[in-house]
Amino acid sequence: MATGEQPRGQTLGDRLYDFAFKNRVWKSIFRSGYPNTPRNQMLAVATNVFLHLHPTRIHRTHVKITHTFCLGGLSFFLFLGLTITGVLLMFYYVPSIERAYGDILRLETDVRFGQLLRNLHRWMAHGMVLTVLMHMMRVFYTGAYKPPREFNWVVGVVLLVLTLLLSFTGYLLPWDQLALWAITVGTNMVGSAPILGEPNRFVLVGGFQVGQAALIRFYTLHVIGLPLIAAIFMAVHFWRIRRDGGLARPL
Amino acid sequence: MAVSEQAQPVSGAVRGRQRRAREEELLVWPDLVFIEFIAAVLFTITLAILSVLVDAVLLDRANPAITPNPSKAPWYFLNLQELLLHMHPALAGVIVPTIALIALGAIPYFDTSSDGQGEWLSTPRAWANLIVGSIVGFFGTLLLIFYDASMHVRLYEWVANPGKSKFLSSGELDPSFNGWPESLAFLKSLRSIETELSWPDALTSIPLGEKVLRTDLLGLPAIPLEINVAKVIVEQIIPVSTMIGLPILLSIAAWKVGLAQTKRDHMILQFSGFIAVFVILTIIGTFFRGEGLELVPYTIYSHG
Ligand code: HEM
Repeated sequence: MATGEQPRGQTLGDRLYDFAFKNRVWKSIFRSGYPNTPRNQMLAVATNVFLHLHPTRIHRTHVKITHTFCLGGLSFFLFLGLTITGVLLMFYYVPSIERAYGDILRLETDVRFGQLLRNLHRWMAHGMVLTVLMHMMRVFYTGAYKPPREFNWVVGVVLLVLTLLLSFTGYLLPWDQLALWAITVGTNMVGSAPILGEPNRFVLVGGFQVGQAALIRFYTLHVIGLPLIAAIFMAVHFWRIRRDGGLARPL
Repeated sequence: MAVSEQAQPVSGAVRGRQRRAREEELLVWPDLVFIEFIAAVLFTITLAILSVLVDAVLLDRANPAITPNPSKAPWYFLNLQELLLHMHPALAGVIVPTIALIALGAIPYFDTSSDGQGEWLSTPRAWANLIVGSIVGFFGTLLLIFYDASMHVRLYEWVANPGKSKFLSSGELDPSFNGWPESLAFLKSLRSIETELSWPDALTSIPLGEKVLRTDLLGLPAIPLEINVAKVIVEQIIPVSTMIGLPILLSIAAWKVGLAQTKRDHMILQFSGFIAVFVILTIIGTFFRGEGLELVPYTIYSHG
């Protein structure tokens, strides 16, 4: 549906362009036109809820790959990827000690692309721990924790802990020897705290040893509790980057 | 794509600043969105290739009756598991990580200057502090681990007995073998301070009874306290003073020689040291702790 406002002599390209981007449907979804002018480019960012995590303009030095190495962005990207693959994994997995291990075996052998799905989730989880740690180092060495960004650094430390906990709770779910004993070793560390350690370990594991109660607790934390909390802290993290005036710059 | 022509400053004072800022700014669409997109695509491809090539492990079904030897936590906690071998479990498992996280979160409240903000290692001595901190943290920790694994004893006996073995062919101890001196037996490892010195009984079991730790007031079982001074020294006093003392010494030394002069210098020194310690502990815990958590090369997942 061309608008017909163009002078005569339109090329085919112009017609196609008008057809694609100057119709009611496009305009009902994206308030701005196609982002090929500075105005539309800024509107594209400002009027889109996802892109609106960004400012519309950004300082030249921050676009250099070597400033951030995209590490925070990649951490977030991995978080999203983990959410998607995680939801798919939930289709095939029942958190019961009778079924869990068999479900993983069946996922690997009977489900089309099941092994690939599990591999992706696993490698992304390891990757996220690495990118978050490296992101922390890049923030430190670029001195980006300094005022006014102190609090966002603290939010970051909370995100680091949440990332580790997410990975740790997921570790138990395949219910193989690696999972059982890694979680046993890990939760015993909690139990070694003076006085309150043992009661805490008991609550975490839901008993004296890692069994069905632990599996369902870890599962619930892994698929809903921790991701929700992490998402909230990420929202605060990104909001604060904007509020603190974008990424840190030399004064 | 610069958009200086878009800026329309109002007052003179603001104009200079704004114009400068605007000229150095780019539009997020397309400049940043494009980079983010490329990074996401590259990462997706890498992860897909990795996932096609390398399968995630799945060992035998969990069996509480069979404890694998060694049993290890996930790799990012192996640093703590390594610490566990050298000190009281409550220290390594809970107190040290808690304090480390609090200290990490507190960094910006200590170093409030704006030196070196927003640029990679831009203060004058930044690189030097990073390198010194990393090296000291890495090799310092390695030496401490070697000491606790009695590597110095092995080295001494190897040097003092060229070409000789500790045992005769019959399997008996060779009397002419120059072993580690008996009088220095307490220096074989950290634990030997407790086991090789003759501590008087009065010091190794001081009963304090149930009235010191009043856990009963919290509704928990009462804990009768008995203090073993030798154990406390080995498991708590020495590790704590090492973990607090060595970093302080490092900072003092760096300050004396003029390496660390500003707060940012000290921060870089300590943070780099911390990261290096974290890294070496993780490496040792992952690749060099085998059966019985002995210090030997270890291939991950080699146990069934
Ligand atoms: C799940 C974990 C995390 C996610 C998804 C995340 C995400 C991000 C993103 C996307 C940015 C924008 C710049 C960049 O990409 O580097 C950023 C900046 C920042 N992050 Fe994180 N982050 C995480 C963890 C952390 C941690 C562990 C810390 C520090 C302890 C931290 C502290 C900061 C600070 C202070 C900034 C502002 C940097 C500047 O102004 O240059 N974040 N984060």
